[in-house]
Amino acid sequence: MDYRNAFAISASGMTVEKLRLDTTAVNLANVHSTRGADGKPFQPLSVKIGEAGASFATGFEQLAGAARLRGARVVQIEPTNVAPRRVYEPGNPDADEQGFVALPGVNQVTEMVNMASALRAYEANVTAMNAAKTMALKALELGGGQ
Amino acid sequence: MFGNTEAVTVEMSRLALDAASLRHQAIAHNIANVNTPGFAPVRVDFERQMETVRAALRDGAPVDGTMLAGVRPVLMRAAPAQDTDRTALLDLEVADMAQNTVQYEALMKALGKHLAILGAAVNEGKR
Repeated sequence: MDYRNAFAISASGMTVEKLRLDTTAVNLANVHSTRGADGKPFQPLSVKIGEAGASFATGFEQLAGAARLRGARVVQIEPTNVAPRRVYEPGNPDADEQGFVALPGVNQVTEMVNMASALRAYEANVTAMNAAKTMALKALELGGGQ
Repeated sequence: MFGNTEAVTVEMSRLALDAASLRHQAIAHNIANVNTPGFAPVRVDFERQMETVRAALRDGAPVDGTMLAGVRPVLMRAAPAQDTDRTALLDLEVADMAQNTVQYEALMKALGKHLAILGAAVNEGKR
Protein backbone atom coordinates (compact mmCIF):
# COMPACT_ATOMS: atom_id res chain seq x y z
CA MET A 1 0.00 0.00 0.00
CA ASP A 2 1.31 3.40 -0.87
CA TYR A 3 0.51 5.21 2.36
CA ARG A 4 2.05 8.45 1.23
CA ASN A 5 -0.47 8.71 -1.58
CA ALA A 6 -3.39 7.92 0.75
CA PHE A 7 -2.19 10.64 3.13
CA ALA A 8 -1.59 13.08 0.27
CA ILE A 9 -5.13 12.56 -1.05
CA SER A 10 -6.70 13.22 2.35
CA ALA A 11 -4.40 16.20 2.88
CA SER A 12 -5.51 17.72 -0.43
CA GLY A 13 -9.14 17.35 0.67
CA MET A 14 -8.36 19.02 4.00
CA THR A 15 -6.58 21.90 2.24
CA VAL A 16 -9.59 22.50 0.02
CA GLU A 17 -12.09 22.41 2.89
CA LYS A 18 -9.88 24.67 5.02
CA LEU A 19 -9.84 27.21 2.21
CA ARG A 20 -13.63 27.06 1.93
CA LEU A 21 -13.81 27.73 5.66
CA ASP A 22 -11.38 30.66 5.30
CA THR A 23 -13.43 32.09 2.43
CA THR A 24 -16.59 31.87 4.51
CA ALA A 25 -14.81 33.66 7.34
CA VAL A 26 -13.66 36.43 4.96
CA ASN A 27 -17.19 36.87 3.62
CA LEU A 28 -18.68 37.05 7.09
CA ALA A 29 -15.96 39.41 8.34
CA ASN A 30 -16.74 41.78 5.46
CA VAL A 31 -20.49 41.75 5.86
CA HIS A 32 -20.43 45.48 6.66
CA SER A 33 -17.44 46.56 4.55
CA THR A 34 -18.55 49.52 2.49
CA ARG A 35 -15.19 50.01 0.83
CA GLY A 36 -12.91 47.28 -0.54
CA ALA A 37 -9.25 47.60 -1.46
CA ASP A 38 -10.20 49.10 -4.83
CA GLY A 39 -12.64 51.61 -3.35
CA LYS A 40 -15.70 49.62 -4.50
CA PRO A 41 -17.89 47.60 -2.12
CA PHE A 42 -16.51 44.18 -1.17
CA GLN A 43 -17.71 41.33 -3.40
CA PRO A 44 -18.45 37.99 -1.62
CA LEU A 45 -15.93 35.32 -2.63
CA SER A 46 -16.61 31.77 -3.69
CA VAL A 47 -14.19 28.86 -4.14
CA LYS A 48 -14.16 26.77 -7.30
CA ILE A 49 -13.03 23.22 -6.57
CA GLY A 50 -11.88 20.67 -9.11
CA GLU A 51 -10.63 17.11 -9.09
CA ALA A 52 -6.84 16.90 -9.10
CA GLY A 53 -4.99 14.63 -11.52
CA ALA A 54 -8.22 13.62 -13.19
CA SER A 55 -6.57 12.73 -16.46
CA PHE A 56 -7.70 9.15 -16.84
CA ALA A 57 -10.62 8.45 -19.09
CA THR A 58 -13.88 6.76 -18.20
CA GLY A 59 -13.42 3.01 -17.96
CA PHE A 60 -10.71 0.81 -16.58
CA GLU A 61 -7.30 1.71 -15.37
CA GLN A 62 -4.56 -0.60 -14.21
CA LEU A 63 -3.28 -0.69 -10.64
CA ALA A 64 -0.41 1.59 -11.63
CA GLY A 65 -3.06 4.24 -12.17
CA ALA A 66 -3.43 4.64 -8.39
CA ALA A 67 -0.73 7.30 -8.55
CA ARG A 68 -3.18 9.38 -10.54
CA LEU A 69 -5.59 9.60 -7.62
CA ARG A 70 -4.63 13.00 -6.28
CA GLY A 71 -7.72 14.16 -4.41
CA ALA A 72 -9.10 17.64 -4.89
CA ARG A 73 -7.61 21.01 -5.72
CA VAL A 74 -8.69 24.64 -5.64
CA VAL A 75 -9.26 25.90 -9.16
CA GLN A 76 -9.93 29.52 -8.32
CA ILE A 77 -11.26 31.90 -5.71
CA GLU A 78 -13.53 34.27 -7.53
CA PRO A 79 -15.78 37.15 -6.50
CA THR A 80 -19.47 36.38 -6.91
CA ASN A 81 -21.63 38.76 -8.86
CA VAL A 82 -24.16 39.46 -6.13
CA ALA A 83 -25.85 42.85 -6.17
CA PRO A 84 -24.99 44.94 -3.09
CA ARG A 85 -27.61 45.64 -0.44
CA ARG A 86 -28.55 49.32 -0.32
CA VAL A 87 -29.14 50.70 3.13
CA TYR A 88 -30.34 54.23 3.91
CA GLU A 89 -27.66 55.80 6.10
CA PRO A 90 -27.14 59.46 5.16
CA GLY A 91 -24.43 60.10 7.77
CA ASN A 92 -22.09 57.45 6.37
CA PRO A 93 -19.08 58.86 4.48
CA ASP A 94 -19.64 56.20 1.79
CA ALA A 95 -23.27 57.19 1.22
CA ASP A 96 -24.32 58.35 -2.25
CA GLU A 97 -26.32 61.50 -3.08
CA GLN A 98 -29.61 59.94 -1.96
CA GLY A 99 -28.06 58.85 1.33
CA PHE A 100 -27.84 55.13 0.49
CA VAL A 101 -24.81 52.99 1.38
CA ALA A 102 -23.97 49.89 -0.70
CA LEU A 103 -23.22 46.95 1.59
CA PRO A 104 -21.85 43.64 0.22
CA GLY A 105 -24.54 41.12 -0.71
CA VAL A 106 -23.25 38.51 1.72
CA ASN A 107 -25.96 35.98 2.45
CA GLN A 108 -25.31 34.97 6.03
CA VAL A 109 -27.48 31.85 5.84
CA THR A 110 -25.58 30.57 2.79
CA GLU A 111 -22.29 31.31 4.51
CA MET A 112 -23.30 29.39 7.62
CA VAL A 113 -24.44 26.42 5.53
CA ASN A 114 -21.14 26.49 3.62
CA MET A 115 -19.26 26.59 6.90
CA ALA A 116 -21.13 23.57 8.27
CA SER A 117 -20.62 21.55 5.08
CA ALA A 118 -16.90 22.44 4.92
CA LEU A 119 -16.51 21.39 8.55
CA ARG A 120 -18.19 18.02 7.95
CA ALA A 121 -16.14 17.35 4.83
CA TYR A 122 -12.95 18.29 6.69
CA GLU A 123 -13.82 15.81 9.44
CA ALA A 124 -14.45 13.08 6.86
CA ASN A 125 -10.99 13.69 5.39
CA VAL A 126 -9.43 13.44 8.84
CA THR A 127 -11.27 10.14 9.38
CA ALA A 128 -9.91 8.84 6.07
CA MET A 129 -6.40 9.78 7.09
CA ASN A 130 -6.78 8.04 10.44
CA ALA A 131 -8.07 4.92 8.69
CA ALA A 132 -4.99 4.90 6.44
CA LYS A 133 -2.82 5.16 9.54
CA THR A 134 -4.65 2.26 11.22
CA MET A 135 -4.15 0.11 8.13
CA ALA A 136 -0.47 1.01 7.87
CA LEU A 137 0.15 0.14 11.52
CA LYS A 138 -1.73 -3.14 11.08
CA ALA A 139 0.55 -4.05 8.19
CA LEU A 140 3.56 -3.48 10.44
CA GLU A 141 2.28 -6.20 12.77
CA LEU A 142 2.53 -8.83 10.02
CA GLY A 143 4.84 -11.65 11.00
CA GLY A 144 5.32 -10.43 14.53
CA GLY A 145 4.45 -13.19 17.06
CA GLN A 146 1.08 -14.93 16.92
CA MET B 1 -0.04 -30.16 -2.97
CA PHE B 2 1.10 -28.09 -0.05
CA GLY B 3 3.40 -25.99 -2.22
CA ASN B 4 0.52 -25.24 -4.52
CA THR B 5 -1.85 -24.21 -1.73
CA GLU B 6 0.88 -22.14 -0.16
CA ALA B 7 1.47 -20.18 -3.36
CA VAL B 8 -2.24 -19.66 -4.01
CA THR B 9 -3.03 -18.53 -0.45
CA VAL B 10 -0.22 -16.01 -0.30
CA GLU B 11 -0.98 -14.79 -3.82
CA MET B 12 -4.68 -14.35 -3.07
CA SER B 13 -3.94 -12.52 0.17
CA ARG B 14 -1.55 -10.24 -1.68
CA LEU B 15 -4.11 -9.46 -4.37
CA ALA B 16 -6.87 -8.83 -1.84
CA LEU B 17 -4.60 -6.57 0.23
CA ASP B 18 -3.65 -4.65 -2.90
CA ALA B 19 -7.35 -4.28 -3.69
CA ALA B 20 -8.17 -3.04 -0.17
CA SER B 21 -5.27 -0.60 -0.29
CA LEU B 22 -6.32 0.74 -3.68
CA ARG B 23 -9.92 0.93 -2.52
CA HIS B 24 -8.88 3.02 0.45
CA GLN B 25 -7.16 5.48 -1.87
CA ALA B 26 -10.21 5.58 -4.14
CA ILE B 27 -12.48 6.28 -1.14
CA ALA B 28 -10.10 8.98 0.15
CA HIS B 29 -10.18 10.51 -3.32
CA ASN B 30 -13.98 10.48 -3.35
CA ILE B 31 -14.13 12.06 0.11
CA ALA B 32 -11.62 14.74 -0.88
CA ASN B 33 -13.83 15.56 -3.86
CA VAL B 34 -17.15 15.53 -2.03
CA ASN B 35 -17.69 19.23 -2.82
CA THR B 36 -16.36 19.13 -6.38
CA PRO B 37 -19.14 19.97 -8.85
CA GLY B 38 -19.82 17.24 -11.43
CA PHE B 39 -17.40 14.79 -9.80
CA ALA B 40 -17.77 11.12 -10.75
CA PRO B 41 -16.78 8.78 -7.88
CA VAL B 42 -13.94 6.29 -8.42
CA ARG B 43 -14.57 2.63 -7.61
CA VAL B 44 -12.35 -0.45 -7.45
CA ASP B 45 -13.26 -3.56 -9.40
CA PHE B 46 -11.77 -6.72 -7.90
CA GLU B 47 -14.17 -9.23 -6.30
CA ARG B 48 -16.01 -9.73 -9.59
CA GLN B 49 -12.80 -11.10 -11.11
CA MET B 50 -12.53 -13.86 -8.50
CA GLU B 51 -15.62 -15.66 -9.90
CA THR B 52 -13.49 -18.47 -11.43
CA VAL B 53 -11.93 -19.19 -8.05
CA ARG B 54 -15.31 -19.10 -6.27
CA ALA B 55 -16.78 -21.50 -8.85
CA ALA B 56 -13.88 -23.92 -8.35
CA LEU B 57 -14.31 -23.81 -4.57
CA ARG B 58 -18.07 -24.41 -4.90
CA ASP B 59 -17.41 -27.53 -6.95
CA GLY B 60 -14.76 -28.72 -4.52
CA ALA B 61 -12.06 -28.47 -7.19
CA PRO B 62 -8.54 -27.41 -6.20
CA VAL B 63 -7.69 -23.77 -6.77
CA ASP B 64 -4.92 -23.40 -9.28
CA GLY B 65 -2.47 -20.53 -9.45
CA THR B 66 -3.31 -20.07 -13.12
CA MET B 67 -6.84 -19.02 -12.12
CA LEU B 68 -5.34 -15.90 -10.60
CA ALA B 69 -3.53 -14.91 -13.76
CA GLY B 70 -4.86 -11.59 -14.97
CA VAL B 71 -6.73 -10.90 -11.73
CA ARG B 72 -5.83 -7.45 -10.49
CA PRO B 73 -7.65 -4.59 -8.82
CA VAL B 74 -8.58 -1.88 -11.31
CA LEU B 75 -9.96 1.61 -10.89
CA MET B 76 -13.15 2.55 -12.66
CA ARG B 77 -15.41 5.56 -12.85
CA ALA B 78 -18.97 5.43 -11.59
CA ALA B 79 -21.67 7.66 -13.01
CA PRO B 80 -21.39 11.29 -11.89
CA ALA B 81 -23.24 11.97 -8.65
CA GLN B 82 -26.20 14.28 -8.85
CA ASP B 83 -25.70 17.61 -7.12
CA THR B 84 -28.54 16.81 -4.75
CA ASP B 85 -27.01 13.73 -3.13
CA ARG B 86 -23.64 15.11 -2.03
CA THR B 87 -24.25 14.30 1.62
CA ALA B 88 -25.42 10.82 0.67
CA LEU B 89 -22.11 10.33 -1.15
CA LEU B 90 -20.16 11.37 1.94
CA ASP B 91 -22.12 8.99 4.18
CA LEU B 92 -21.68 6.07 1.79
CA GLU B 93 -17.96 6.69 1.37
CA VAL B 94 -17.32 6.87 5.11
CA ALA B 95 -19.30 3.64 5.61
CA ASP B 96 -17.35 1.96 2.80
CA MET B 97 -14.12 3.15 4.34
CA ALA B 98 -14.95 1.65 7.74
CA GLN B 99 -15.81 -1.66 6.09
CA ASN B 100 -12.67 -1.58 3.97
CA THR B 101 -10.44 -0.94 6.98
CA VAL B 102 -11.90 -3.94 8.81
CA GLN B 103 -11.46 -6.03 5.65
CA TYR B 104 -7.81 -4.99 5.40
CA GLU B 105 -7.16 -5.87 9.03
CA ALA B 106 -8.89 -9.23 8.64
CA LEU B 107 -6.73 -10.01 5.61
CA MET B 108 -3.60 -9.03 7.51
CA LYS B 109 -4.64 -11.33 10.35
CA ALA B 110 -5.33 -14.19 7.94
CA LEU B 111 -1.97 -13.77 6.24
CA GLY B 112 -0.27 -13.57 9.63
CA LYS B 113 -1.89 -16.83 10.72
CA HIS B 114 -0.90 -18.51 7.50
CA LEU B 115 2.71 -17.46 7.98
CA ALA B 116 2.55 -18.68 11.58
CA ILE B 117 1.51 -22.13 10.32
CA LEU B 118 4.54 -22.12 8.05
CA GLY B 119 6.63 -21.05 11.01
CA ALA B 120 5.32 -24.01 13.01
CA ALA B 121 6.34 -26.33 10.17
CA VAL B 122 9.81 -24.79 10.06
CA ASN B 123 10.17 -25.33 13.83
CA GLU B 124 9.05 -28.99 13.45
CA GLY B 125 5.96 -28.24 15.52
CA LYS B 126 7.92 -26.99 18.50
CA ARG B 127 6.88 -23.73 20.07
